[in-house]
Amino acid sequence: MEEQLLSLSKITRSFGAIHALKEVSFDVMPGEVMGLVGENGAGKSSLVKIIGGFDSGYTGQLTFANKQVRFSGPVMAERAGIAIAQQELSLIPTMSVAENVLLVGDNVPKIATKRQLIKLVEPFLSEVGLDYIDPATSVERLSVGERHLVEVARLIAHDPQLLILDEPTAALGETDSIRILEMVERLVKRGKSVIYVSHRLDEIFKICDRITILRDGRSVAVKNTKGLSVSELVNSMLGRELENMFPKRISTSSKTPLLKVRDLWPDGLLDPVDLDIFPGEILGLAGQLGSGTGEILSAIAGAHPIRGGSLEMDGNVFMPKTPNEAIKAKIAYCSEDRKHDGLFLGRPIIENLTSTALKRIGNFGILQPSAENGLANDIAKGFTIDNSRLPSEAGVLSGGNQQKVALGKWLAISPKVILVNEPTRGVDVGARAEIYQTLHKLAKKGTAIVIASTDLQEIANLPTRIIAFYRGLKVSELGYREVSAENILTQITDPFGAAKLER
Amino acid sequence: MSPISEPINQLPKPSILEKLIQRHSKLAIALLAIFIVVFVYGMVTAPNFLTLFNFKTIIRDAALVGIMAIGLTFVTLSGNFFLLSMKETAALCIIAFATGMASGWGFELSFLFTMVFALIAGISQGALIGIGGNPIVVTLGAAGVLYGLGAYWSDNLVVSYRRPHGAEWLGTGSFLGLPNITVAFILIAISAELLLRKTSFGRQVYLIGANRAAGRATGHENFWMAIKVCTIASVCSAFVAIAFSAQVSSAQVNYFSSEFGSSGDMTIMVIATVMVGGNSIMGGFGSTLRSSLGAVFISTVDNMMVLHGFNSGPRVFAVGLMIVFSIIVFAILRRGSRSEE
Repeated sequence: MEEQLLSLSKITRSFGAIHALKEVSFDVMPGEVMGLVGENGAGKSSLVKIIGGFDSGYTGQLTFANKQVRFSGPVMAERAGIAIAQQELSLIPTMSVAENVLLVGDNVPKIATKRQLIKLVEPFLSEVGLDYIDPATSVERLSVGERHLVEVARLIAHDPQLLILDEPTAALGETDSIRILEMVERLVKRGKSVIYVSHRLDEIFKICDRITILRDGRSVAVKNTKGLSVSELVNSMLGRELENMFPKRISTSSKTPLLKVRDLWPDGLLDPVDLDIFPGEILGLAGQLGSGTGEILSAIAGAHPIRGGSLEMDGNVFMPKTPNEAIKAKIAYCSEDRKHDGLFLGRPIIENLTSTALKRIGNFGILQPSAENGLANDIAKGFTIDNSRLPSEAGVLSGGNQQKVALGKWLAISPKVILVNEPTRGVDVGARAEIYQTLHKLAKKGTAIVIASTDLQEIANLPTRIIAFYRGLKVSELGYREVSAENILTQITDPFGAAKLER
Repeated sequence: MSPISEPINQLPKPSILEKLIQRHSKLAIALLAIFIVVFVYGMVTAPNFLTLFNFKTIIRDAALVGIMAIGLTFVTLSGNFFLLSMKETAALCIIAFATGMASGWGFELSFLFTMVFALIAGISQGALIGIGGNPIVVTLGAAGVLYGLGAYWSDNLVVSYRRPHGAEWLGTGSFLGLPNITVAFILIAISAELLLRKTSFGRQVYLIGANRAAGRATGHENFWMAIKVCTIASVCSAFVAIAFSAQVSSAQVNYFSSEFGSSGDMTIMVIATVMVGGNSIMGGFGSTLRSSLGAVFISTVDNMMVLHGFNSGPRVFAVGLMIVFSIIVFAILRRGSRSEE
């Protein structure tokens, strides 16, 4: 039998009375891709922190390359040959790619000309599939996906034995994600081991040899990917049967549009867009990163600069210039980045939930605590947020619960239209299903819901109908019956059949 | 159905001391302990410190800085950092008030006249900050303009008016044994705290301060907020200017620049007070109560040192030390209170 590269046994980590990890066992073989999955709060991040040397306050044994070790800091782990690509990038935007890749490390020359640096980084860049970019470009001019690849190139420059990728594709579109996956395959071919942490089960299935499942801080199972079914995996992640992730699709009933978008031309799109949004439907805007779907939603909500256009609702023609004006028209908009503009992380959850409707909980400017509690409890119930946690800071919630709060706060204005960009980014399976149920329920009550998403599974299964966008251009509309993942994928990646022409 | 329940502490609650040690770093507790020892020692050994009269003195000394700090706290809490023009606003306003009084307009009219200047100063600075101007740069510029106007208007001379005059009740009068300026401080402190905690406006201050982008997305624009909080700060400055002028029956443009408070510069003292109170410099966390207590606290230490016979050098040093100290302690405490994600 082959020797394990990394093996953890009976790892326990507690914070006060809270057990983040309980007797977790975990191992990685040389040249293997090990998937690490689990709901938010299952302990994935805690485990990754321990392996990476960010956290040494655990009990249990950690063996790496046949040596029992305990890393007292990330530098030690790095020396031993473990590298972590974190979700938050640590690149310096104004510096060049070459400088970023060779920012730190033992093999970096103390003094070097730009040309020397460029020569040095070339092998690392080609390793991650970035050989087409000029190493002298500054990082801020790269796409988000390319930045992730640069980050990995920097880690590879230290020649690690084990690379940990923590949600590498969470912020990426389909094509960028594919590049990350290709890079992983290349690394594994060269005998490196990879721990791949992700919520995206399709990716996990595509590249992992084995999958470790964490639940409530315990390692519940290690499975071979071959012969494993998605539902089997999801069930052991949740510890229960997930009946249906997606509710039954709504076939729209209304014939008169609730909101007519006319000649809306948000900055970043090639052409003005017309949309009819019907009450009671879930409209999906499909497209990759850079397709302009997010810009359309934020423009409707008055949060994105436009060149022109108007909205028509209930006979009124208007165009909100600020989010406040959109809110007055009962249009709610949830951006893709909840930490940036979706949540007040340092404030209590209750204040987050009522932040959109201070008028509703006030009387001549005086806040009415009973009204506020009532409203917040109603929303919490609708979004399955534990209402005993309402007074605690929103920042302590897990990603899934944060997203529920970010969405839930809009129920306070009783919206007619809800626009959601990436409704479940960085959200675990359980919370995801709950968010879908809630959106579905709202649509059933007559609210018009528009989602923009780069998650193929989501965009293929949730909406009533779909409009596909490609690089700032509206390419097609798919009705209730034509919606399928394959159809959508073609529309958003290669609508004009260009790829076939080239071959 | 809530499968996303995260682990919650279900053990019996530990004692307060245990909790303190568990939740906060030992460094913070050690710093606090050292401070408490020094503070108590100073209190007990200072002659005449523990008398009712001295206590009243402390509050009265805290009042002027405290009122301005309360005004500035709104700006800081709303995430608009600091106004560096606090003392210059007061400087222009004190000239305006004294000119009014010297011209025989009476208290009420002079008061309103002064407030007009405060409103203009507050609204214009607020609007500039609201459209995206950096608060430091905007108010640094405004400081020059306001001070320059005051100096030009008064020719750098002392504007004085004779007793008896209509403002004496505010400057030297008292109510139930407390100086009226102390009463004003207490009333302003209470109403500011109520404004923050109980009104939609106060809630907006916290929300915008906690996350300006999210504030905008939920319909709370910083433009109007900046105008409102800058106006509050300017009005507080003007009020302090009026009260001070009423005490000394005169005005000069540099009254707030020197020989005032222990560090000599009103703006610095006011900012120090906000910070010693433990308000978050980035906004979204804190309260005017904290600033009020900060003012009383600084005043207490200052008073203690005066009673021990220290001259102004060590006292300025102490104020500086308190700022550094409070920043460290509050930073550690705040970090410790956040649960691990």
